[in-house]
Amino acid sequence: MELENLLKKHFGYLSFKTGQKEAISAILNGQHTLAMLPTGTGKSLCYQLPGYVFDGSILIVSPLLSLMQDQVEQLGRLGEKRVVALNSFLSLEEKNYVLDRLQDYKFIFISPEMLQSSFILQKLRNLAISLFVVDEAHCISQWGYDFRPDYSKLGEIRKSLGCPLTLALTATATRKVRKDIIQSLGIEDAVKVESTIDRPNIAIWIEEIEGYQKKTDRVLELAAKLEKPGIIYFSSKKMAEQMALLLEEKNNCNASAYHGGLDQDTRILIQQQFIHNQLDVICATSAFGMGVNKENIRFIIHFHMPMQIESYLQEIGRAGRDGLASIAYLLYSPGDEQLPFQLAESELPSEQQIDWLFHELEIGHGIKGDALQFNQGTQERGGFSEVQWRLVENLLRKEAKEKSSLLDCKESIKEFVNERITMKKKNIYQMLQWILSNRCRREFLLNYFEEQVTSRIEQCCDICGIDEKNYSASHKLRKNHLGKIEWKEYLAGLLLNSELRE
Amino acid sequence: MEWVESVILYCLKKINNERTIYSVYHILKGKKSSQTIQDIHLYSLKRLFGVLEPLARDSFEEIIHCMRDNGWIIEQGEQKYLLSSSGEQRLKNIGIPIFLNGWRYHHVTTIFWERFSLLVQVVSNLINQESSYIPIQKNKKVLFWVKAVLKESHLSRSEIGEKLYEELNECFEDGKGIDPSMIVFRLTGFRQIGLTAQQASKKMNVNVYEYHLTFTNTLHYLIEKIETRGANFPILTHLLKGLELGDELTITARKTWKLLSQGYSIEMIAKNRNLKTSTIEDHLVEFALQIDRFSIDAFVDKELQLEILQIANQAATKQLKLIKEKVSRASYFQIRLVLAKYGDRQWN
Repeated sequence: MELENLLKKHFGYLSFKTGQKEAISAILNGQHTLAMLPTGTGKSLCYQLPGYVFDGSILIVSPLLSLMQDQVEQLGRLGEKRVVALNSFLSLEEKNYVLDRLQDYKFIFISPEMLQSSFILQKLRNLAISLFVVDEAHCISQWGYDFRPDYSKLGEIRKSLGCPLTLALTATATRKVRKDIIQSLGIEDAVKVESTIDRPNIAIWIEEIEGYQKKTDRVLELAAKLEKPGIIYFSSKKMAEQMALLLEEKNNCNASAYHGGLDQDTRILIQQQFIHNQLDVICATSAFGMGVNKENIRFIIHFHMPMQIESYLQEIGRAGRDGLASIAYLLYSPGDEQLPFQLAESELPSEQQIDWLFHELEIGHGIKGDALQFNQGTQERGGFSEVQWRLVENLLRKEAKEKSSLLDCKESIKEFVNERITMKKKNIYQMLQWILSNRCRREFLLNYFEEQVTSRIEQCCDICGIDEKNYSASHKLRKNHLGKIEWKEYLAGLLLNSELRE
Repeated sequence: MEWVESVILYCLKKINNERTIYSVYHILKGKKSSQTIQDIHLYSLKRLFGVLEPLARDSFEEIIHCMRDNGWIIEQGEQKYLLSSSGEQRLKNIGIPIFLNGWRYHHVTTIFWERFSLLVQVVSNLINQESSYIPIQKNKKVLFWVKAVLKESHLSRSEIGEKLYEELNECFEDGKGIDPSMIVFRLTGFRQIGLTAQQASKKMNVNVYEYHLTFTNTLHYLIEKIETRGANFPILTHLLKGLELGDELTITARKTWKLLSQGYSIEMIAKNRNLKTSTIEDHLVEFALQIDRFSIDAFVDKELQLEILQIANQAATKQLKLIKEKVSRASYFQIRLVLAKYGDRQWN
């Protein structure tokens, strides 16, 4: 069957987006593939469609639980029942149930932690795997901004699964990172599908603004003026909350905050309200956006600078998926870079914390075989955050396997941490350099990914000049639609068919 | 904040200066400790157990200080307060939400809401022939539950929305003093996403705690209605299926109960379960409060029981220390047992 027919039959689309067809054709040809496709262009289709051609299962390694959940749900909505996610959300009972009938599932999502279990690996070895997919593959590379130690073992795991046909997916990876991915997975002969990171329908505008108050005023002004819906990104939950309140009070705008501190019910509702156009503006931390498939987002504003260019691109990439003109603002005040520097350090354990931990290990709770023996509460007593602790545990486990002495182990962990900090700082400097530069914004970004500008874009950036009128709101904000409606009417709207209501 | 304040005033009045404000806090938070469970029985505060679960400690303290500054309550020493006459008057004028039934419904309130909101969403999408949407509840048990209900109800797609609407309408219209909009605007359906708790509180123009209390009151009203008149509401009655209402014993106490019924002594149970004797004693106090057939005679002889009760009555107190001073041969555990077994009935 023609690829287009399959696309129509299973997914309801008439044509492929950039890069999708190339990647899918290569896979169907039996070639390992590395596909770098820009955010929002349907990367997941590259393994979903082959699922309907191949006989065996598709095994997808995915680093984030929320992302995995979204993808499972997405397939579910397409009517695919043979989907399962193997992650820490499953109870032991559920896990055993799934593992006993793995062959019944077409799409198996799995977290990298789960792949560490030799029991699960054994189960997977008995399975006919038609395609091994590594999602967010840049996590493999030490050079990637989002390096995950347990991702670096995927090459080994792939080998133990008999080197199945492999697809590595990423949205943003520099050439160095892409090279790392290929090497680490052992797919040197992979076909590379690398579409540009450029999103020509998104104009980029950077503004230097003195001080917090003026920045706030500017956001209010922009949010009033610009065509909505839009997302405003913050590095702090509190500021996201405050701005949402201001927008509601001063701009009479339907706005809500979204961040990791909200409970799950609230997060789902806000996401859905935004998708159903009940909210005009979301004030969010980087927790927002994953799995939000909304086509008509017209603007992105960065109130704080992201920690690296890759994250910036991911975040602005949520705008304009319908291909229509959209704009991304970044507001910068001198000194703003301090916040990302602090964040970068807080993500990694400090030298003192590492020393303390090894002291603990020396006085009795050592490393036995490859099992770690910590007293309960070691994490709290050492003041390790969740992120820091996971990293330390991972590194220790790896070192223990290599049977290094405690001292060597300590030194190599310190070395690792220092390298990571240096790299994160370098990323922040690069981001800053871009903000402070007076070169074309787009050209700079493309060059960062070793791409060249091929054609001039009419509405490019603040340096090249744009016509802001293109992005102005076409009509006045409507009042909140729930204004005067009575509960009975609302309930009838939900539960009675429209014919009955009239 | 009217009702939140009122509920706190009510608690302070009931405990009558015999407990600190933190006992009140634990009751409203629904803390599952023996002390709190004993308190709600002793002071007849069962209905208010856990009705303000999200209340933060510092917000609670702030409310107390604010009421003190308003002259509604008067400080009586370390973290203890009594109502002033203006406080009494205020409590009388405003009253407390009448449908709250924390002790009986607290542990099913969340799952009831999960089931209810999901049922409405699923039915709403069903009648609009929409099959592709994100369920607002992620709890798998609730997702399975809704599937089972739809299968069992044997109603056609065209009927089920109408029937559910009628049942809800009837339910709500009966409720004097409740405002259905507290719940209704939170509901999600076909292309219409419900408000979050915070958004709803803003829409109703009340603070989040006040909203939570009103929301809970309305839910408890619904639960009670369905529990008592389920036959009138063939669809809604599913919402309570399989839920244990008034499940009185904490899980750990239940294990103790099992061993106790097999004839083990307190010490043996403690050893067997690797718990402190005092913990097992807490469990026994819990039994005395809640299990009518549990006799305390094996732990306090009849004579001592009578003596403790008399002192407690004379001094009109439930403060252990005061009683202990007068009946020195009784242990604190014995006093607690007696008060737990007979206290409630004596004073109510």
